[in-house]
Amino acid sequence: MNNPKIMLETWSIFSRLFLLGFVIWESYFLRKPGSGWSIFVYLIVICFLFAGQVLRKPKPRQAAALLSAGFLAYCAGHFELPLLYLLLPASLTEFAAGMKPKVLGPVLIFVSAWLIPQQVLALYIAAAGISWLGHTLIRVSVEKLGVQNERNETMNADLQRLTKALIENRELARQSEYTIKLEERNRLSQQIHDEIGHSMAGALIQMEASKRLLASNPDKAAELLGNAIAISKEGLEQIRLTLKDMKPKSEEIGINRLRLFVDELSAKQGLAASLTHEGNLDAVTPIQWKVILENATEAVTNTIKYGEADHVHVHVQVLNRLVKAVVADNGKGSDKVVKGLGILGMEERAASLGGTVITDGSNGFSVITLLPTGGQEVPHGAGS
Amino acid sequence: MNVLEIHELTRKFGDFVAVDNMNLKVREGEIFGFLGPNGAGKSTTINMISSLLRITKGEILLLGKNITKHSRFAKMNIGIVPQDLAIYEEMTAYENIYFFAGLYGLRGNELKERTAEALEFVGLSDRAKELPKNFSGGMKRRLNIACAIAHKPKLIIMDEPTVGIDPQSRNYILNSVRKLNEMGSTIIYTSHYMEEVEEICSRIAIVDHGKLIAEGTKEQLKSSITDTKDIWISYKSEQPLDTERIRQIPGVTQVLDDEQEQLLRVWSKAEINNLNLILQQLIQNQVEIRSVDEKAATLETVFLTLTGRNLRD
Repeated sequence: MNNPKIMLETWSIFSRLFLLGFVIWESYFLRKPGSGWSIFVYLIVICFLFAGQVLRKPKPRQAAALLSAGFLAYCAGHFELPLLYLLLPASLTEFAAGMKPKVLGPVLIFVSAWLIPQQVLALYIAAAGISWLGHTLIRVSVEKLGVQNERNETMNADLQRLTKALIENRELARQSEYTIKLEERNRLSQQIHDEIGHSMAGALIQMEASKRLLASNPDKAAELLGNAIAISKEGLEQIRLTLKDMKPKSEEIGINRLRLFVDELSAKQGLAASLTHEGNLDAVTPIQWKVILENATEAVTNTIKYGEADHVHVHVQVLNRLVKAVVADNGKGSDKVVKGLGILGMEERAASLGGTVITDGSNGFSVITLLPTGGQEVPHGAGS
Repeated sequence: MNVLEIHELTRKFGDFVAVDNMNLKVREGEIFGFLGPNGAGKSTTINMISSLLRITKGEILLLGKNITKHSRFAKMNIGIVPQDLAIYEEMTAYENIYFFAGLYGLRGNELKERTAEALEFVGLSDRAKELPKNFSGGMKRRLNIACAIAHKPKLIIMDEPTVGIDPQSRNYILNSVRKLNEMGSTIIYTSHYMEEVEEICSRIAIVDHGKLIAEGTKEQLKSSITDTKDIWISYKSEQPLDTERIRQIPGVTQVLDDEQEQLLRVWSKAEINNLNLILQQLIQNQVEIRSVDEKAATLETVFLTLTGRNLRD
């Protein structure tokens, strides 16, 4: 992520090296061969140039820049190398970069223009313009990068938050499933204790008594045994009833939950909702009901958010090898369906059971969830 | 062996998803039907298979080779009959085929022979020297097919080849599709005419809104929505029918006799072919049969049931 910053810094070094190269070329080859001192000066200037990049903290960096500017100005005057003035703006801009008033750089450059000899003034102004533009460009880019990074971070945080919520929801679902199971088990054991337990105990007492009376009073014993048999029969019947009662039909959980959901819609959201079904609901497994219910919830959320509908209809149809759940509203629909997280979620849920979701916005908006059931496979043609 | 494999194929136009995560396998020797309403994404898929459109996501394998990486191989082995006619009206029928087969890399005598064969195949040998602009719509379509098959591709793709032509040409084209298949070509056939698809295709994919909704033989597709057929037999008989005997015929689940209307309705397992037995039973009882109508599921009803819409909306 630091790459653009490094790139810009490199660019800045190279632009200045290029400028320095130009200065050396101009003054060394075209004007007059310099003294040994001029080479020394150039090397020092290069050192300053790199020092600016090596120093990480702003304060020393500014100091280096100021020093470099002073050195340049001094050398330019002392060694009669007027072209060195061209390097001045870059150092001045760098010095001014960290200071508060943003115009400080241009002002410094402008002020120092008075020091510059006439012959290089035009070049000086051009060089000043270039280095100021370059610096501004770098600053703006780095700022942009900062903004992007910040946005990236907030999005990351959002993602984490959502993932956490997702995990929590999963946990909640698991928890509630467990609670329901627990409740069922408690109810079952309570009923066994209250009813079947008592009759079993009663039968046992009668049988014990009859065993004792068997020798002395066979008639009485037979009567007691008869009682015990009657009580046992009753108990057995009770066991049957209890088990039948306990085991809810899977379809009842599903369709009833869906009905509850539809009723709540009408009551709470003021959205007229209806539910119909056809076919044998026994074929739908609880996990399929779960997907149907969740997809219906999602679809209805979309209807409320975007649909502008006043009626929504839910239809569950059990076909031979498929179960189809339709949620259709009479709203404005949509010519081109753009898939958001909602539709993707529905698709994922359906896909987890080997099914698909069809969305259609041509006539109101409808979401069809198709899930395969374990219906009969056609024997012929299957292999062709 | 799979001639064509499509893995998680997706094509987007901006936000709009034209083909949505499609997975398909076309086996060798099949006539594979691609059924869906207009705008379902059939042609987009075809155009990606024929490298006319870039793939947004996923991959297409032809004879096990990725068509994007082996585009020359793919082009040599695919013959496309496009939805819109792709023939030159200013060139004779012969020249058209010669030109297209040449593009596929045929040369010399082989090119001439194959051109003549293709002309023969579509029944245009006697019109070889004529310009297509004088042809009927059906003949142009046939020429269009000839241009695609002259180089004997492994896979022939026909994109709605029967749109807007007369019944005779249509039958001719359907027959030639069968013949091509018998001669060893694997064929992908797209159409929104479900009767055609039902008639000639060995396996069918139903697509809608860019998604593969169901896939299988027509029997499998039909049985996915119902396993029952509904037979209506109108008859003439003085005495009431013995419905108990009919009820015992294998597969029959329910029998309803409307004596007033003289109409017998029999519900039966769709996969058991027991119509003969039912009719035999009636004839034995001296019942005069007026008409028989089997209301079994069609691909149209499959589509309607699955999507809630008609194929030709």
